[in-house]
Amino acid sequence: MAIADDEFRRLIEFYQRMVYSIALRVTGDPSTAEEVAQDVFLELHRSVDQLVGADHIRYWLRRVATHRSIDAIRRNSIRPEAAAEEWEDDQSVEDDAPISSIRLQARLDELLRALPEPMRVVVVLRYQEEMLPDEIARMLGKSIASVKSHLHHGLKLMRRKAAVTMKEYVRETA
Amino acid sequence: MKQPEELSEEFEQDKFERELTRAMRSVDPPHGFANLVMARAQAEVPVRARLLWMPRRVQQWTGGVIAAGLLVGVFFGEEAHLRHQREQAAQQQFETAMRITDRTLEHVQQQLSDAGVRFDH
Repeated sequence: MAIADDEFRRLIEFYQRMVYSIALRVTGDPSTAEEVAQDVFLELHRSVDQLVGADHIRYWLRRVATHRSIDAIRRNSIRPEAAAEEWEDDQSVEDDAPISSIRLQARLDELLRALPEPMRVVVVLRYQEEMLPDEIARMLGKSIASVKSHLHHGLKLMRRKAAVTMKEYVRETA
Repeated sequence: MKQPEELSEEFEQDKFERELTRAMRSVDPPHGFANLVMARAQAEVPVRARLLWMPRRVQQWTGGVIAAGLLVGVFFGEEAHLRHQREQAAQQQFETAMRITDRTLEHVQQQLSDAGVRFDH
């Protein structure tokens, strides 16, 4: 038994923000993200018979959106703006510089794009989808230690990058 | 026992994570996204499968319409068949009557000829 059109439309309207946001933050490119999100929903349309309940559908959508986004990055050779090491060794930046959410929001895409892919994926799932490290590990087929390591280093890099870009941002907007 | 600097660092890290969570709100896809996906999904579905995916009420109506169509078809098909049979029977009767008439005429003509009556055309 396949899904009726009106039921499928309800699923799209309910989950489109989640799927598109994962694709956007992981790929860093709006048109690629839209393409990925469309493909994810088409795959849902073909596979919905095998999914039971809202939790299963949400888990499936997150997993497929993440993997398709990673595929898109690799296919389109989308690379981080800068190598992580470039600013990891910048000791002049204070780690604990206070950062407001408005300023962070303004530079979020830039910060995410600068992260290497494995770290970016884990950061998006942890802070956008608010998934726990063990859930992320299960979904990506990685060890919890690996996820925690990516999370730790990803956050560290973002904090350093944020401190630099926030200073620039403040100078620009002053 | 943690030192004040360590506590401060931990607090700042937690604060950063909270700010990150707040900043990473979900965003809307471009306008018309759902319509685009629906159009692509419908283009993928073959017509036969689409009939099976219709809501139950529409399926029942469609089933009724198809059944009525079949009944009408059977009725008119039967009518056409009977008419064809009647036409064939009439054709056979006509041919038999023509053959009898020909033989009778030949017989009469032979008798008249034997009696010396001549027919000049």
